[in-house]
Amino acid sequence: MLAKIKSYGLMGIEGFAVSVEAYVSRGMPAYDTVGLPDAAVRESKERVRAAIRNSGFEFPVQRVTVNLAPADLRKEGSVYDLPIAIGLLAATEQIAPSPLLEECLFLGELALDGTLRGVPGILPMVIGAYGQGIRKVILPRENAAEASYIEGVEVYAAENLRQITAFLGGEPTLTKEKTRTWDSASIAYSMDFADIRGQQGAKRAAEIAAAGGHNLLLVGTPGSGKTMLARSIPSILPELTFEEALEITKIQSVAGTLRGTEGMASERPFRSPHHSASTASLIGGGTRAMPGEISLAHYGVLFLDEFPEFRKETLEALRQPMEDGVVTITRATARSTYPAQFMLVAAMNPCPCGNFGSRTAQCRCSQGQISRYLGRISGPMLDRLDLHVEMSEVGYEDIASKSRGEPSAVIRERVNKARSIQVERYKKEGILFNAQLTSRMTGNFCILDEGAERLLQKAFASLHLSARAYTRILKVSRTIADLEGSEKILAHHVAEAVQYRSLESKYWGDTRR
Amino acid sequence: MKLDYEREERFLLWLGFVLGPGAKQYERALAPFGGNAEDFFNAAQKRALPPECGIKAEVLERIFASASERYMLGCFRRLQEYDISALSVRMPDYPSLLKEIYDPPPVLYCRGELQEAELPIGIVGSRSPSEYGRNMAYRFAKELAEAGACIVSGLAYGVDCIAALGALAAEKNDFPTIAVLGCGVDMVYPANNRDIYDKIMRRGAIISEFLPGTAAKPSYFPMRNRIISGLSRGVLVVEAAEKSGTLITVDCALEQGRDVFALPGRLIDAKSEGTNELLRSGQAKFTSAAEDILEEYRGIGMAQKKNEPKTVKKPKKKAAKTAPVQKEELPKEREELPAEQRLILNILAKGEKSFDELCELTGLSVPLLNSTLTEMEFSGIMKQSPGRVYSL
Repeated sequence: MLAKIKSYGLMGIEGFAVSVEAYVSRGMPAYDTVGLPDAAVRESKERVRAAIRNSGFEFPVQRVTVNLAPADLRKEGSVYDLPIAIGLLAATEQIAPSPLLEECLFLGELALDGTLRGVPGILPMVIGAYGQGIRKVILPRENAAEASYIEGVEVYAAENLRQITAFLGGEPTLTKEKTRTWDSASIAYSMDFADIRGQQGAKRAAEIAAAGGHNLLLVGTPGSGKTMLARSIPSILPELTFEEALEITKIQSVAGTLRGTEGMASERPFRSPHHSASTASLIGGGTRAMPGEISLAHYGVLFLDEFPEFRKETLEALRQPMEDGVVTITRATARSTYPAQFMLVAAMNPCPCGNFGSRTAQCRCSQGQISRYLGRISGPMLDRLDLHVEMSEVGYEDIASKSRGEPSAVIRERVNKARSIQVERYKKEGILFNAQLTSRMTGNFCILDEGAERLLQKAFASLHLSARAYTRILKVSRTIADLEGSEKILAHHVAEAVQYRSLESKYWGDTRR
Repeated sequence: MKLDYEREERFLLWLGFVLGPGAKQYERALAPFGGNAEDFFNAAQKRALPPECGIKAEVLERIFASASERYMLGCFRRLQEYDISALSVRMPDYPSLLKEIYDPPPVLYCRGELQEAELPIGIVGSRSPSEYGRNMAYRFAKELAEAGACIVSGLAYGVDCIAALGALAAEKNDFPTIAVLGCGVDMVYPANNRDIYDKIMRRGAIISEFLPGTAAKPSYFPMRNRIISGLSRGVLVVEAAEKSGTLITVDCALEQGRDVFALPGRLIDAKSEGTNELLRSGQAKFTSAAEDILEEYRGIGMAQKKNEPKTVKKPKKKAAKTAPVQKEELPKEREELPAEQRLILNILAKGEKSFDELCELTGLSVPLLNSTLTEMEFSGIMKQSPGRVYSL
């Protein structure tokens, strides 16, 4: 009396097939779960027992062994409740053998009364199962939305165990979920650039950053609108493609933040962890190697407000994932790789009190305090922030003015155009946008005309730019040229890029003169 | 550098070493001995100082312990080692202006070559000046030093060190600046002023009333300020907020009967509230050019040499030339500039503007404005300062 039920497990955002085997034999009544179960899986015994009884079935008073194969991979979570319950019912012949038992993938947590509860990570599991030839999935109603975006998979959403057993018995208690189609046009952004008053320079910088995928550093006095600008940036990033949305949803699904939503990410994520965040929460970690903020911000914006207040090692830990676009988290019991391609928007005050450079308020910081504050951001980190923008103070006239700025949709149009130029140009390089250019590639792709060359030389002489500022200016000039549709980088592109250069010469450098 | 001292001088300095700064205590200690430091020394050796000296018990112990030839020799050797000379208030080389004040430091420690400056002018101001303050401090220091003045400043952040730099830029002046420290002369505080410190030591002098090795303390700076004003004939205030340490120097200067000059600032500028108030109350003379200061001291020092053969009216004319500080433009070259640059120049001529304000006032597109500003920055017609504020 053996039954085999198909289910699925997760490692990072990739899934692996799990075969749930239930074996009921004569002997002293006992219940064993084997196959590297974690605590939640081991506890499933009690849930399964109660759910089976409360659904009107018998729980076998025999020796029960449940094996989760492959036995060498760790199984986590409550997702195996349903397959175990079905497996036991099949092994004790309380449900008749049916081809559906072999075909279907079973996922879901059971409540004691037999109702089904949603579980995290459904989307990557279903995608994985589809890849392995499974075409039918039975899962909790709560998870139906995210799974039904996968074309070619029949999704049956159930409320409780009873419905499933009836369905397996041939009754039409469950109906196939309608396959949903994903439409990027339906996105409604919560913030719009039109609502930002003034800040023309910063808005332009945000546009450039969005167009070239550059990381952005906003410096400004408190209340100058750094946070508002950052929050609006997702609205000018190119619309999500289905593949991107799928990947974002996968991560959200694993992190368990998807429950109760429409099922599929429609907006680019915007994450703004507090500056007290630990390295593990930012990068990912925990005993189960869960995705961190940088992965949750995948294809979106990671906004770090009060940048210098973050712990130094936390910021330094960001550097490697920023470079690679993925992060691998290793723990004693788990090892997961999560994608982490985010646009970093960092915001900071110019000094601890915030008023340095302000024309209306007095800065109370000593020079030493200011240099210590700024010194918390390392050179290599600064190196990765291509555009540095100083936000002007917002005056009363700006706030009170009725005139609306350019709407995000118009800016997004330009960004899209610039991005498609870049995709075309970097087809053979395996990168997507200018920010990813390596120094070797800048030589090939950032071709300056004569005037631009001269201007850049002049910039070096008079601004004392560092070598790292050089590549940065080149990349940003490239994006500005792309926004204008120019193949070559011209003098005025470089000239504009220089305005968004490093604050190095002003803040990070010698502030005396 | 003077490192060999007369016998009497050695005892005077020794007393300064053991008593530390404080003019009153020094005088009071010497009074019972008729000002003879050697007698004081001998009495201290015998542990028999009269109570009229007014020295506290714990200090007395220290004096007794240090009243030996060996100790004194050690002190002078140490000074020599660090290249520091010492000046007692009773020595003839002591700056004559400083000697006049109510509480002159009993002993001055000095690095570099302290000379009797003909026209010492103090320049004080905010530690975090605006771009305007920076420019003015530099410019006035340079112009005054070129006219023969010696700039006295505090070698702290901001106006202090900018003034010293400005003075050092006057290459013809062979004693352009004195820096007065609020710590021992061998200490560089703030530490990143090291390069300026070295430059001043080569061409000017660095002085302090504190024993070498004394670390800076907040309470020392007001004490230092009285030396800055005491050394100077006049004190120029570049930028000062309403309540600032700069105004302590001004108070000292007024008490010591020194002239105070102040640069006008914008009404809404917090960093100019102090200077504007000084001008309003009549405590300071309105100053818009170096000539405004120099004309007060006609007949002194190089200002005299320069102007003596000339007619009386000439300096007035010169004043008119340098007076309109802000309106310094090059009309000829301006004609050749592109239209956008001229537009921006005209706006900035009325005062500094932020990027957003420029954007609104010029009506130029952001990319165009960005690149135009860069070009102007490079050609040196315009400067950008923190907060993305542009000024000429």
